[in-house]
Amino acid sequence: MRQIQFIRSNTFLWALAVAAAFALFVVGLFAFTYWKLDDYLIARSDRMITTRINFIADLPSARRIGAISDHLEQDSRGVQYAGLFKSAGTRLAGNIDSLPRALDLGGAAQGVRLDLIEKSAVHGPVIRVVGRRLENGDVLVMGRNVDETREISSVVGQALALGLLPAFCLCLLAGAWLSVRAQRRVEEVNQRVQRIVAGELRERLPEDNSDDPFARLARIVNGMLAEMETMINALAGVGNDIAHDLRTPLTRARLALERGRTHATTLEQLQEVTDKAMAGIDQSLAIVTALLRLTEIENSRRTAGFGNVALDEILREVCDVYEPIAEDKGIGLGVVIDRNVQVWGDRDLLFEAMANLVDNAVKFTPPGGQVRLELVSEDDTALVRVSDTGPGISTQEREAVLRRFYRSDKMRNTPGVGLGLSLVAAIVKLHGFRLIIGPAPGGQVEILAWTGRASKAAACRSRTSPLATVNQM
Amino acid sequence: MTRILLIEDDAETAEVIVAELADRGFDVQWAPDGVDGLDQARAACPDAMIVDRMLPGMDGLTVIEALRKDRVGTPVLVLSALGAVDDRVRGLRMGGDDYLTKPFAIIELVARIEALLRRPMDSRETTLHVGPLELDLIERTARRGEREIDLLPREFRLLEYMMRRSDQLLTRAMLLEEVWNYKFVPATTNLIDVHMGRLRHKVDGPGDTQLIHNVRGSGFILRSRQ
Repeated sequence: MRQIQFIRSNTFLWALAVAAAFALFVVGLFAFTYWKLDDYLIARSDRMITTRINFIADLPSARRIGAISDHLEQDSRGVQYAGLFKSAGTRLAGNIDSLPRALDLGGAAQGVRLDLIEKSAVHGPVIRVVGRRLENGDVLVMGRNVDETREISSVVGQALALGLLPAFCLCLLAGAWLSVRAQRRVEEVNQRVQRIVAGELRERLPEDNSDDPFARLARIVNGMLAEMETMINALAGVGNDIAHDLRTPLTRARLALERGRTHATTLEQLQEVTDKAMAGIDQSLAIVTALLRLTEIENSRRTAGFGNVALDEILREVCDVYEPIAEDKGIGLGVVIDRNVQVWGDRDLLFEAMANLVDNAVKFTPPGGQVRLELVSEDDTALVRVSDTGPGISTQEREAVLRRFYRSDKMRNTPGVGLGLSLVAAIVKLHGFRLIIGPAPGGQVEILAWTGRASKAAACRSRTSPLATVNQM
Repeated sequence: MTRILLIEDDAETAEVIVAELADRGFDVQWAPDGVDGLDQARAACPDAMIVDRMLPGMDGLTVIEALRKDRVGTPVLVLSALGAVDDRVRGLRMGGDDYLTKPFAIIELVARIEALLRRPMDSRETTLHVGPLELDLIERTARRGEREIDLLPREFRLLEYMMRRSDQLLTRAMLLEEVWNYKFVPATTNLIDVHMGRLRHKVDGPGDTQLIHNVRGSGFILRSRQ
């Protein structure tokens, strides 16, 4: 099974293909070299025998026989052939037994079988021969054995083949090695992924410092895993927070009911107990409602309810709603509107966001303090600023306050669900606006909105880009 | 006797609602599913209906749509575990019906049913009268007997809403939705109480008989007679 997988692996198949291509190339090279060499050597020997025959033919007839024997004597390798024949075919001199019949006298050099006087081991070798009829009617034949060209060619061929075989093997080996290596890494990645799937979120893919694609891919995936781990942990944290926050009022309700069941003797006492229990349950329900609302806004991809919204009207209205509450608490609530501004958004949601901000500001500002609502507009932005003289949000807490259920330790005893700012953040994000939390002391939260056409585009962007996050400066 | 049809699949919830409404003098019929409910609604012609949104067989909103197609205008209070108010629900509210998210206080349910049964005072009137109170909708003035009451715009709206529904329990949620146009529950729970306190201070002056009554744990009533 593993064997087949290995052979089928892409890497190995590629290596095989490369090896085959390489072999084909080497064979081609060999053929070309052979062909070229052969051609060259034959042409050379042809030139030589033509020169020689011309030289001997030009000699006076008496000196020819001597020249031929000189010529043959000088040839120690025995590759030269020469013959002088009478016109009738009788041999006068040389080492050629008889005039070859196929020879075309006066033509160019050609390959012919010669009958030699001394039979060589190779019977009737093919020899390049040129013949000439002399002016006295004799026939002069000169030849040269070209078998040596074949020998040289075969040596070259052997050399190439000798190179080809190891190269081919090397290719296959490299292919096999790469294939096994890739397979091993894939197998390792697979095992780790299986562990991650099984819930081992801290697991990561093997990552070395090399720059090969595998390592880079692993780094990318590990980055993603880290991000996901953080998110999942955050979600789990939210689950814990919810459970904890629900448990507190439910415990109160349960205790009240339990005590009432044993101790209440009159109807009034029982009613008091049930009132307490109901208050506890109502608070739990308020948490659930707020949480569902938050999820609803966060998951909302709908901008169907969007339209032109006058921010100044919303601000005045929020001020109108909270004014009596602020007054009861001895807090001054003022609204400063620079000029009327319209943004593209959901009126109800924006109202909810502003109301939440003012609600928080009034809640956290001690009596005698001030809460200010400001609307500052520039060319294509509008800034809603809710500032108060309360403790504000410290730098360390800035990120935390946007988390669900975060309640500053200082505020543990202030009633509330602890979802207010998360809700505001979700609404702001849905609109593609920015939430800016100012420095403490003194609470300051700003919503930077885009007016006019730019705001529509921003809202669209925020829907398409999941990375559009809330800016906390 | 006012007849009410309750279409609710959870028997325990239905039992409590039936008992509570019966205590208040309503004649309540119960149907456990949509198909049965639609049959009963067509046969009995109730004065009002309470319909759970999620029902086996045929969902609540489909039942209502079927009835409306038959030109049955019975006011309906829809109960739902879904908090999200979608377009279908918005349509309901526009049509004079109401929507209540589960879980709810039983008093809230009763208050809303009574509100549905008692359509508000004719809106063509330009002056509203409740006991010694008089509200001029054109001049935007309010007086109690001879005494002028100086009201802020929001207080005027609140008083108008209450005078149109005098002697009727108005819950905080109803006031938030109708007068303040809130689509959410505010973090500050006593928001309405503070505003109501202001209004009551102006309406019920020292020595006057109290007109605006606080019903503990549930809401407010503007009583025309003591």
